[in-house]
Amino acid sequence: MLLTSVIIVLREVLEAALLLSILLATSRFMQLRTRWFYASLAFGVVGAVAYGNNLTAISNAFDGTGQELLDAFLQFAIYLLLLLIVPLMVINHHRGAYKRNLLQGAMLVAVAFAVLREGSEVYVYLSAFRTQPDLYSSVMTGALLGAGIGFSIGALFYYLLLGLSRHYTLLLAGILLTLVGAGMCAQAAQMLIQADWLPAQAPLWDTSALLPEGSLPGQLLYALVSYEATPTPIEVIVYSVSISLMVLLLGFTHYVSRSYRQNLPEARAH
Amino acid sequence: MKSIRVFLLVALLSTIILVNFVSALHGYRASMAEAQQLFDRQLAATAQLLTAMPQPETAAIVVRQTEDLAFQVWAGKERLLMRSSNAPQESIAPFEEGYREINFSGYRWRVFTHFAPERRGWVQVAERIDLRYRLADKMILESVLPILLGIPVAGLLIWLVVGRGLSSLRQLAGALQKKRAEDLTPLPLEEPPEELLPVVKSTNALLARLQASFDRERRFSADAAHELRTPISAIRVHAHNLELELRDLQHQHRSIEEVPDSLGKLKGSVERMTHLVEQILDLYRTTPDHYPARFEPLDLYQLAREEIAESYAAFAAKNQSVELRGGAAPLLGDRFALAILLKNLLGNANKYTPEAGHIEVWARTEGERVTLRVEDSGPGIPEAEYPRIFERFYRVGGDRHDTSVEGCGLGLSIVQHIAQLHHAQIELGQSASGQGLSVRIDFPQQAPLPNVAGEGDD
Repeated sequence: MLLTSVIIVLREVLEAALLLSILLATSRFMQLRTRWFYASLAFGVVGAVAYGNNLTAISNAFDGTGQELLDAFLQFAIYLLLLLIVPLMVINHHRGAYKRNLLQGAMLVAVAFAVLREGSEVYVYLSAFRTQPDLYSSVMTGALLGAGIGFSIGALFYYLLLGLSRHYTLLLAGILLTLVGAGMCAQAAQMLIQADWLPAQAPLWDTSALLPEGSLPGQLLYALVSYEATPTPIEVIVYSVSISLMVLLLGFTHYVSRSYRQNLPEARAH
Repeated sequence: MKSIRVFLLVALLSTIILVNFVSALHGYRASMAEAQQLFDRQLAATAQLLTAMPQPETAAIVVRQTEDLAFQVWAGKERLLMRSSNAPQESIAPFEEGYREINFSGYRWRVFTHFAPERRGWVQVAERIDLRYRLADKMILESVLPILLGIPVAGLLIWLVVGRGLSSLRQLAGALQKKRAEDLTPLPLEEPPEELLPVVKSTNALLARLQASFDRERRFSADAAHELRTPISAIRVHAHNLELELRDLQHQHRSIEEVPDSLGKLKGSVERMTHLVEQILDLYRTTPDHYPARFEPLDLYQLAREEIAESYAAFAAKNQSVELRGGAAPLLGDRFALAILLKNLLGNANKYTPEAGHIEVWARTEGERVTLRVEDSGPGIPEAEYPRIFERFYRVGGDRHDTSVEGCGLGLSIVQHIAQLHHAQIELGQSASGQGLSVRIDFPQQAPLPNVAGEGDD
């Protein structure tokens, strides 16, 4: 039970912790207020507990696919918020303060959604064992080990990002957020497959022998790039499309804000 | 990074957690594998034991057995000799030597199948996987728990140790913070750690350079004072002599009717210049950053009386009445500076109060503070001007200032310097009479800070 609970908790905590550490580190570089993240975290935790307590009602909605649909919605919402956050970060980097309140707000909502989703999974999992005292200590130990590893990686990753120079942090954050966002989309697609909104398919390939999903590197890759050993064609397509969309949008913002900066001295000269 | 201490705590604790937890997981997995082997050996031993037991020749014996272990003893592959009550009638697993995992009776079991050649029969022993897993889990968990419980302790220890390690940095920050602007002595850090040594050294070198430059400036001001005072005194003497000589000439040759106007103007200008130079020197001398204050117990009331007496001629010249009220006002202060302060306040009151006007001076103790108040019956100052009148060379009304009133606009700047020196508060307002300016200064009775009392060299 311990190993299972380590893997389940680690997977959820790591995903939220990485997103949080990337957003926190970029906030520090952009001199945004980081204190609001506490509120966002608290909101996410409260939401997760509320979600977990009303799980039956949520699951029964939409012909028993309520939970999958809500999860898919949350993940798509995070991706859409990232589509807003990452270009705004690039614009802020190139031409100074621009719609900072919108950027900050989007970050806070994204963090709250991520904590809500991942937190609810952990909460539901742990509360399922509350009635089994002989397993509970093993499950709780596993959960603590998993959460400890997840938070530690998140914290070290945060300091690593802070230690880099501003330019590299932004570049790395942009790449990671693109991957995390695409991962969210792929997971959402998986949820929709489970809800029968998308057709189930045979996996495209199987790398579980090479890198098992349950291993620590597998979990790390899952949190970072949503690694899956047996992805279906739909998941692969959704993943690639979300990455391409973000890259296109980024390329466009980069080009526009760059030319804006180059035109700036001329504009001032007139 | 907001705080080095928080950074070190989080980074170190994260590293410890990561390394320890991952190795605990590894240990857990290895111990679980080891425990499974141990349980398997136990199954094999049980099978051996069952093989050695005498078996019945007739009907199969059913042994009452608790739920965690099941077994079957077969003669050949067809006839069941003995079984536990929870084992089925047919064979649990295929008759093949070795271990395998099988489902029956609603559980998953680990089964050991053994062929006994001496009896030409099979023995099968099965153990519930969930139970033996739980047993192993329980045993191994005991070794993981201390790692988990140790983390808060490690966190506390790291917090304390890092705090101790950063204490010299805190000391340095404290020493720098406590330093007053005029205190340029080296930083008092005993045995600073290697990492802080360059900071302390360069800061002390900077302080020494600053001290040297202040010393140079102070010397310059003292020299300038001498250099300026001497020629001005000479001019005064010459002007006086010139006046006397002109009077003599007037006596000898009746042709010159009286002393020319320009001589009077010259004397006036020289007086103003003398005043200006004195005021500039006073302003410089009383700058709180440089002033070598020497605090001593004195009575402000008494001092005010002396100063009024000294400037009495000026009041008498304008036919003004001066009244000193209040009572004993003991405080720790610098006598020389306070005398300058009183002189300036009285001088201003004298200047701006019209002929035959009234000036009131209060000095008294109010609670823990000593209050000095000087009120004149002059035109007063509009409230909007209050913040600006302490600026150097600022005069109310600017260019339209009533030029009949002599002054250079430095008096209140000097007063402010001396008030700052004594940590006193200045409050401007209207005289009780309804017009005129009221200047109220609240002094603390105690000396502001012990290290302010430096050694005077002026």
